[in-house]
Amino acid sequence: MATLKTLAYLILYPGLLFIFFYSTFAEWYDRKLYARLQNRMGPTHTGRAGVLQPIADFIKLMSKEDIVPERADRGMFRALPAFGLAIVSAGMLLLPVWNYSLSNPSATSFSGDIVVLLYILSLPTFIFFLAGWSSTNLFSTVGATRVLTMLFGYEVPLFLTVLTPAVLANSWRLAEIAAFYRHHPWLALLNIPAFLIALICVQAKLERTPFDIPHAETEIVGGTFTEYSGKKLALFRLMMDVELVVAAGLLATVFLGGFPGGLLPGLINFIIKTLLVIFLLCLLRATTSRIRVDQVISLSWRYLAPLAVIQLLVIILIKGLIS
Amino acid sequence: MSFQIPIGPQHPALKEPVGVRVTVDGEIIREADLRLGYNHRGVEKLAEQKTWTQNIYLMERICGICSHSHATCYVQGVEKLMEIEPPKRGLYIRILVSELERVHSHLLWLGVAGHEAGFDSFFMYVWRDREIVMDILETISGNRVHYAINAIGGVRRDLDELQIKHILDSLEVLRQRSAYYEKLGTTEPSFVARLAGVGYLSREDAIELCAVGPTLRASGVPMDVRKDDPYAVYDEVPFEVCTADSCDVLGRTVVRIKELLQSYNIIEFLLKNLPAGPISVRAPRRAKPNEVVSRYEAPRGENIHYIKSNGSDKPERLKVRAPTLANYAATIKMLKNGFIADVPLIFAAIDPCICCAERSVAIVDARTAQERIVTMSSLRELSLKTAKHQARKREAEWPL
Amino acid sequence: MNDQVLIDKINEGLKDKVVAITNPAPRRLFLQVTADNLLPVVGWLKHELGITHLSTISGLDLGQSFELLYHFANNCCALTLRTEIPREQPVLTSICEIIPGAILYERELQDMFGITVQNIPDGRPLLLPDDWPAGNYPLRKDWKYERPPEVIPGGKS
Repeated sequence: MATLKTLAYLILYPGLLFIFFYSTFAEWYDRKLYARLQNRMGPTHTGRAGVLQPIADFIKLMSKEDIVPERADRGMFRALPAFGLAIVSAGMLLLPVWNYSLSNPSATSFSGDIVVLLYILSLPTFIFFLAGWSSTNLFSTVGATRVLTMLFGYEVPLFLTVLTPAVLANSWRLAEIAAFYRHHPWLALLNIPAFLIALICVQAKLERTPFDIPHAETEIVGGTFTEYSGKKLALFRLMMDVELVVAAGLLATVFLGGFPGGLLPGLINFIIKTLLVIFLLCLLRATTSRIRVDQVISLSWRYLAPLAVIQLLVIILIKGLIS
Repeated sequence: MSFQIPIGPQHPALKEPVGVRVTVDGEIIREADLRLGYNHRGVEKLAEQKTWTQNIYLMERICGICSHSHATCYVQGVEKLMEIEPPKRGLYIRILVSELERVHSHLLWLGVAGHEAGFDSFFMYVWRDREIVMDILETISGNRVHYAINAIGGVRRDLDELQIKHILDSLEVLRQRSAYYEKLGTTEPSFVARLAGVGYLSREDAIELCAVGPTLRASGVPMDVRKDDPYAVYDEVPFEVCTADSCDVLGRTVVRIKELLQSYNIIEFLLKNLPAGPISVRAPRRAKPNEVVSRYEAPRGENIHYIKSNGSDKPERLKVRAPTLANYAATIKMLKNGFIADVPLIFAAIDPCICCAERSVAIVDARTAQERIVTMSSLRELSLKTAKHQARKREAEWPL
Repeated sequence: MNDQVLIDKINEGLKDKVVAITNPAPRRLFLQVTADNLLPVVGWLKHELGITHLSTISGLDLGQSFELLYHFANNCCALTLRTEIPREQPVLTSICEIIPGAILYERELQDMFGITVQNIPDGRPLLLPDDWPAGNYPLRKDWKYERPPEVIPGGKS
């Protein structure tokens, strides 16, 4: 029985099938919203209002020719997309979606899992770097170096701001943090500056405008993904979608109070809260233009990091005052 | 560690093939080099085989965006050679289409600048408004590009009351939206951060390197053929020359937006003061032996045609210098010491119309046969050269 | 400053160097100079009259000689310098040291007419493809082309 439950957990919900369908749905939502904000139609024909468009794109890419450049590092070039998808899917399992209640915790909820999730979210950056590096293409190399350069900028504020609510909630366990903020909703308002900074940093992590320099189409062709085609590109794009959902889920858990209520209400909560975060990210994407990589670093270290530190100090003081 | 990055001939940043090779050191460009000729079509040699009227259509096809500017510059020159004077109404309609072309070209450029900078929302909005202008051009001439409204001696189609009203109404909408873009393009922080300080071309450099058009005017030099050498009806139409002082891409954006607003005023003036009368006079078949220099202010800068006739119905020599060619030397200067990330912006800031610039040589043969040689083998050779070059650099300097 | 004032200034400053001046239309001046005097005249125009904007350089094949037209412009007229060089010895001096923007136009002359421009800073071919057979100068009048018979790949003729 337990094995059956674990298998259902891994394959159905919140396992692979759910990840696949929900992340393609999130991508549709993002694309449709981006298009409507630009006075365009967005995906319209496939499925009702174009909902099946990302799945159609995925299937199309899977069926295209897969070319491996002659000088590329074969093993790494081939393994990286699958590896990346596996990593972010594992991250999805850590979100407290199925069994959230602390009296009956799921197998993947343990003390310290917020740190593991942050670590899992920073691995895709290295995978992009390795993907660009192993392509041995001039444009990929430039894209790969840009990916790492950006990492030096946004990683520190992201960690600081995501761990701030954990400090206030006095726990390193995602399920407990979410439960804490559900019981003390007013304290969640104190984290709003951290939420805003975390939104900007997550936008940088996901490499979306204004931080989409590593795969800036008009400058370096495809950036890290120049040489990828066919199945590998399909897996990379799916990986980026899943990363979007995982990052949105992380922000929703830590700042917006998690997904209470068991199976069905939990699912609805999950969908609503992650779509809210994706809405904010999409708004940021539609209203700004791309900034250069050195400007990302200066923005992060001049504004984001100091503000994150100040927010952390304020939270520590408040925690001292409360207890 | 410095290596060379080829931008082009095929690159998403370039709408037309041109080979720019930049030598970079990290992200900073140290040297830049330009290779032209990928889009060469041998228009000058071809023009010597066609009659005066056939050449109008040849001239139009030099470029899609500024087709009317080449056709008008040519037709003005030929009218001087043939010593005929087109009627006022014809000139007004010709200049109306010129200004509409300027509007559509600048809107196109604004969108492209937004796209190159990554600001796709701006790009979508501006191009939505460009559709209004394309619709106007379609009602006037029947085509969205290659209007074919010029004839030697005047224009081919007339305007009626309904069209004039439609244009004036659309102008109102365009005016409002352009004011919004002016605000957006100059005050949106992430966009301005990409444009300010990029592609600096000092005033002395711009004058020495013979730059033209908004590239020159953004460095504070008020040179505009419409004011210096007024052709057609520009001596009667009130407008101002727009300049900016910042000498960078932001200045060029500001100059183009200001010119956009000036063009709306000119179009309104032309429509309200359209004189009645015929739209063209009959042109003779042959022109007496003579030569003429014809200049025109295209959206990208000064367009100059030198036409020489020898008494027959075909030109003896037709030399075309499109504005983008004049801006190439200035582009090389601007690229040095910039970032790679700025290359598309710098290139886009001169508003490159590479097909315009690439007909100053006579290509041989019919375009079909010879172009095969130009495209395939020259590109193949270039790609082989690039690959060889890359291999050498990699073995020498890759840390692994 | 209108045309007549300009003509008077040129006559005064460059009396012996300029062979002829014509003013066929308003704001259009044509000056004829010999090839040796080209550089001093361009320098005089730049330093004395402030005419620095070179629009383009046109080449013309007149049969026995090549005629070159340097089109200058300023804010009151378009001035064209005309000079001729013999066909057997098509050699010209570069004006790039005075007008740096002339480099692309001079490279084009080299490609198209086979004119050798001396002291040119960068004399690489500009527009012709890399595998262009040497000695073929397309804009010369004796360089003709015929449309080759169309070959349909795949064999059907």
